[in-house]
Amino acid sequence: MLWALFLAHVAAVPAAAAAGRTSMRAGLFTAAAAPAAAAAWAAAELAGGGRTNTAELVWVGGLDVAIRLRADSLALMMTLLVAGVGALVMVYAAGYFGRNAAGATRFPATMLAFSTSMLGLVWADSVWTLFIFWEMTSVTSFLLVGHKHADASVRMAARRALVITAGGGLVLLAGLIVLAESAGSSALTAMEPVSGPAAATAGVLILIGAATKSAQVPFHVWLPGAMAAPTPVSAYLHSAAMVKAGILLIAVVGPALRGVAAWKWLGIAFGVASVVWGAVGALRHRDAKLILAWGTVSQLGLMVTLLSVGTAKAVLAALALLFSHALFKAALFLVVGEVDVRTGTRDIGDLGGLHRSMPTAFAVALLAGGSMVGLPPLLGFVAKETAIEAVLALAGAERAVVAAGVIGGSVLTVAYTVRLLHGVFGPGPPTPVGANRPLMAAPAAILGAAGVVGYAALSGVNRIVVPAAAELSEKADAYSLIQWPGLKTAFVVSVLIVGVGGVAGALWASRGVGRLPAPVGASAADGIVDKTLGFSPRLTALVQHGSLPVYLAVMGTVAVLAAAALASDFAGGHLIWWDHPLQAMLAAAVVIAALAAAFVGSRLGAALALGSVGFGVTGLFLVHGAPDLALTQLLVETVVVVGFVLGLGHLARRFPPVTGSWRSVRIMVAAAGGLAVTAALAAAGTNPTGKPPTLDLVAEAVAEGGGKNVVNVILTDLRALDTLGEVVVLATVAIGILALARVRTRPQAQTQES
Amino acid sequence: MSAALLFAVGGLTSVGIYLITARSLSQIILGFSLLGHATVLGLLVAGGAAGDAPIAGTAAVADMSNPLPQALALTAIVISFGLTLFLLALAVRQQHLTGDDQVEDDLEDQRIAQGQPAENLPEETTEEITQSIEGGIP
Amino acid sequence: MNPNQTPAIQLGIRVASPLAIVVGVYLLFAGHNFPGGGFAAGLVFGAVAILRTIAGLQRPKGTTALIACGVLMVTVVSFLPILWGDPLLDQRVVTFDLPLLGTIKTGTALVFDIGVSIIVVGLVSAIINGLSASQPTQGAGQPTQGAGQPTQGAPQ
Repeated sequence: MLWALFLAHVAAVPAAAAAGRTSMRAGLFTAAAAPAAAAAWAAAELAGGGRTNTAELVWVGGLDVAIRLRADSLALMMTLLVAGVGALVMVYAAGYFGRNAAGATRFPATMLAFSTSMLGLVWADSVWTLFIFWEMTSVTSFLLVGHKHADASVRMAARRALVITAGGGLVLLAGLIVLAESAGSSALTAMEPVSGPAAATAGVLILIGAATKSAQVPFHVWLPGAMAAPTPVSAYLHSAAMVKAGILLIAVVGPALRGVAAWKWLGIAFGVASVVWGAVGALRHRDAKLILAWGTVSQLGLMVTLLSVGTAKAVLAALALLFSHALFKAALFLVVGEVDVRTGTRDIGDLGGLHRSMPTAFAVALLAGGSMVGLPPLLGFVAKETAIEAVLALAGAERAVVAAGVIGGSVLTVAYTVRLLHGVFGPGPPTPVGANRPLMAAPAAILGAAGVVGYAALSGVNRIVVPAAAELSEKADAYSLIQWPGLKTAFVVSVLIVGVGGVAGALWASRGVGRLPAPVGASAADGIVDKTLGFSPRLTALVQHGSLPVYLAVMGTVAVLAAAALASDFAGGHLIWWDHPLQAMLAAAVVIAALAAAFVGSRLGAALALGSVGFGVTGLFLVHGAPDLALTQLLVETVVVVGFVLGLGHLARRFPPVTGSWRSVRIMVAAAGGLAVTAALAAAGTNPTGKPPTLDLVAEAVAEGGGKNVVNVILTDLRALDTLGEVVVLATVAIGILALARVRTRPQAQTQES
Repeated sequence: MSAALLFAVGGLTSVGIYLITARSLSQIILGFSLLGHATVLGLLVAGGAAGDAPIAGTAAVADMSNPLPQALALTAIVISFGLTLFLLALAVRQQHLTGDDQVEDDLEDQRIAQGQPAENLPEETTEEITQSIEGGIP
Repeated sequence: MNPNQTPAIQLGIRVASPLAIVVGVYLLFAGHNFPGGGFAAGLVFGAVAILRTIAGLQRPKGTTALIACGVLMVTVVSFLPILWGDPLLDQRVVTFDLPLLGTIKTGTALVFDIGVSIIVVGLVSAIINGLSASQPTQGAGQPTQGAGQPTQGAPQ
């Protein structure tokens, strides 16, 4: 079933591109089908008890190179979110873009390609599979963020996102390799807990990779920039899907790294810093979409913190937050997108009074915003309540740091939510609005209502979230999400958070929107992107300079170094001067003739010297006891010399003179190459691994091949397929020579050649 | 292992490398041929000592040279024969097209090496772009 | 090639050609038991073609057809065994007597070798035609003496 769904996604990508030729709308509806099917399947599986599906495709078995997919409870929950929100967003995008928007062949297909990679990422059961899909999401999201690529700032934003997330991907790869090596398995589930310096290294590297993807401070700078994307992209990638990849990764490898202190504390540092700094960013901005983006940084920080804490309750709270955040943040993005399309602006300083002119959007925003703040009766309330309980259950310094971050961040969250809703929908002269867009309103309404439905049917949500948490932390199924906790400490804290945050938000909002904040950190990030992009042509110029001789000299040098390593176990005991005195004379003659070929000035002289080398080599074959080689070489050499004489007739009589320092470089590389090959061969003879298989081959040649000439029997019987290939090569060469000659003669009179 | 053969292999390799790093295609072909010879001799050296021809019935099996590297070498000879001839045809064609058989540096690569930008970058500076992204308002 | 070679050389090559062809045929059959084989045989036939071209006796023709024919033979022999369920490139061995060579034990491998030699002859004639064609001084004076049979017809 996993393969069927996955391949359906893959097949739908070109289908969506083809449908996009008709119109953007047709393309998007085509693209939405596959994720909708995946979401329906995940929902059915979850309703049926959530058994684990697996699938694998082994490519190189011995090297553990395989695509391994596994849909357990956590993956099913993520599938529901990724595919479900994906399908809704694609429908929404049909309303967002006009009927005949530009890029209709590109956008739906790219969106679906992203959705496909995200699905693969969610289902991945080996670190390698995970990494491949991880990188695919980076690339497809780059294309999506850069959808309006004609704009320079959009291009820069897309590059910034790509450089940061792809750079993080490389760090992640290093971390995954270390983790797989120290755990002794590449399977993500059932990975044994690891410890020691290797585990700490792996933990730090993986966390950095996850932090770049999930926009944790200080790697968050790409996320606000990525708001240059069309709003459907932001709603999907930057709420439900891509930014959740890092969270998912931290959750999945968490059980293996839970005992590692570096993992835990770095995670908490990332998380707490992001909770606070993200919320501050959301308070500073006036573009509604940017407020949401900074809010996402903050919310993701909350999840990272809770997962790093790693107690059973904290893990459950993190997953509950993940689930509710995907719903309410996507809903808010969709509402902001609708406001943007219908009013023409997202600036909360210019907007206002929309509660009357856009009542549905207002209702959805209230539901989603309430969920974000943590008000009952909404799913966000349950999640935040569980989170606060989990934090209060901690002890010591951990409790102080985490509680300060979580509670402080939550207060700020309430404040920026109030400011956002007040700025867009609150009192003020109503902004003029354009026509209704039902295709945009409906998906937003569904996602907004999901918060209430989830609260009402909390037992259903428990059946999704609790088993998923139990997979990450054994004791998590002792807990469940509770609708109404009663007057406990956590509830009191919640009330205080909402009260203080609400007042602060109202005060901050009434102060006006203020000026645009200075970009903090973004200049540095763009500087790095600039440097990276400037470095790449210089590197290209260095390694791809286009000079064949230099390429060859570099390759020769590398070969020398490789051979030098081989030559280290050389012992000279097996060397004899010669097999036969004639061999020594022929060898000397061959080398002298070769030198003549290199240093004689005329082309004809060089060709004749080459012929002499060939005849000398023929003699060496005879002395060695290889008459077949000798016969063949003799005949080949004859034809080659004839070819040279014919071909050289077209060329100048003498070689162009060579001078300069390049010549001495060539001589040095050449001398080193010859020495290295000699040494490597001599070393190879030092430790023979067995006797020559002459006896077996002779017996087999007579018995199986029915011939006495062993060499020929090997060629026509044992290696017949090679010989067939070799003959085809010769035929190809012949046709190639004729074709080259024909090209050459075309401008002149046609010859009579058939 | 015969030092004389090793010397031949090393010498042919050296001269071969020297020649293939030349600019003239006909010298590259010469070098390629020499490297082919070196490879074939190398196969023989690695395969064992000299001996009688590996033809059943003509000598004692114990005295025969190893036939396996010879079979490999035969293929190598044939392929390097084909390649040499094809390169020769290329050199002749080059001569007819450009008037000599020099291997020139790739023009496109040279253009990159000289640092000419692939696209016309926008007039805005990075700082301006950063500011406009961060401001967010379209 | 200079078509005006001395008559002595022309005569020598005329006489040598059939002898060389006999040598080539010998190599073709000898390959299984003694040094030789299709490749060597093809090179000998090719050498004949070269000599005759140099002497101005004739120029190889139908190169493309020759190559195609060789590739066809080789491929058919290689893939036919699959039709009756044997592995690719499997051989049929037959034994028969020939007046000059004595008892010949051979098989489909011989057809394969003949194909190989035909391809090699094609390659050599491609070299002759491809590398020497259209030398500026010879553009008009292409030799047209097609008196004898094409040398490549030798192996049956």
